[in-house]
Amino acid sequence: MTDTKTRAEFSIDQLLDNPWVTIVWDDPVNLMSYVTYVFIKLFNFSPEKAHELMMAVHNEGRAVVSSGTREEMERDVQRLHEHGLWATLQRDDKI
Amino acid sequence: MSTFERHGSQVSLLVTRDEIEILINLAEQLLELLGEGDFFHHYDVNDPLAQLLAVPDEIQTPEDPVLKRLLPNAYADPEAASDFRRYTEPALRGSKQRALRKVREDLLVIFESSEEEGMVEDVDPDSWLTALNDLRLALSVRLDIHADSYEVFELLPDEDPDKPVFAVYFWLGWLQEKLLGVLQ
Repeated sequence: MTDTKTRAEFSIDQLLDNPWVTIVWDDPVNLMSYVTYVFIKLFNFSPEKAHELMMAVHNEGRAVVSSGTREEMERDVQRLHEHGLWATLQRDDKI
Repeated sequence: MSTFERHGSQVSLLVTRDEIEILINLAEQLLELLGEGDFFHHYDVNDPLAQLLAVPDEIQTPEDPVLKRLLPNAYADPEAASDFRRYTEPALRGSKQRALRKVREDLLVIFESSEEEGMVEDVDPDSWLTALNDLRLALSVRLDIHADSYEVFELLPDEDPDKPVFAVYFWLGWLQEKLLGVLQ
């Protein structure tokens, strides 16, 4: 049994809000301090938030750094590539 | 030994002549590699006419492993990756070339006049960070860098031809760390 109405609304909200995500992948070259610097510069994160995300990339091999429309994520990936970070975009897994 | 320093908003770099030569040499090599197969090689990529007329039918994922790392696929799906690359790779190459050219020009200016060492008076931190990082990425592919590479480097005998390349790679990381340090 399931409540279709609630589920449908939830899905539509998610689709409208954050259907795509940008993922940054770990690599053994980029300095931890540099990755943190780039996160602050590109996404206006606080130093704490940027550090936390950098550690997530480092420890888990990847982390979602932004979500939004496909066009927005393509822009984010492009800017991350300009800074030498290894980034990809994809549909949000949760949908 | 080279150092970045900051006075107010101005960042400067003191480098030895040997270091200037190494950096110019590496920047030129990477510029050459980035120019290969560049559809906009003879144009300024910011020129709207070049962008308008010359969007190529297809740009393949580069075969050279260094280029593959510097210009990675944005999508896991090959078709989506290729489509994205078609519209964005020239601009990505262009931004990397601009940073490397800036670093090269900064160093060429002081190379002529400097004796033992020289000073880049007004470092553009974004260009330098990007260029140093791209040079490290490029060398890392050639050296097959992984998490334990520093130990590997330390154990290499002095006569190993890779030893000086490893040394330059770790020196570039140290330099980049210095620049990040003065920006904080």
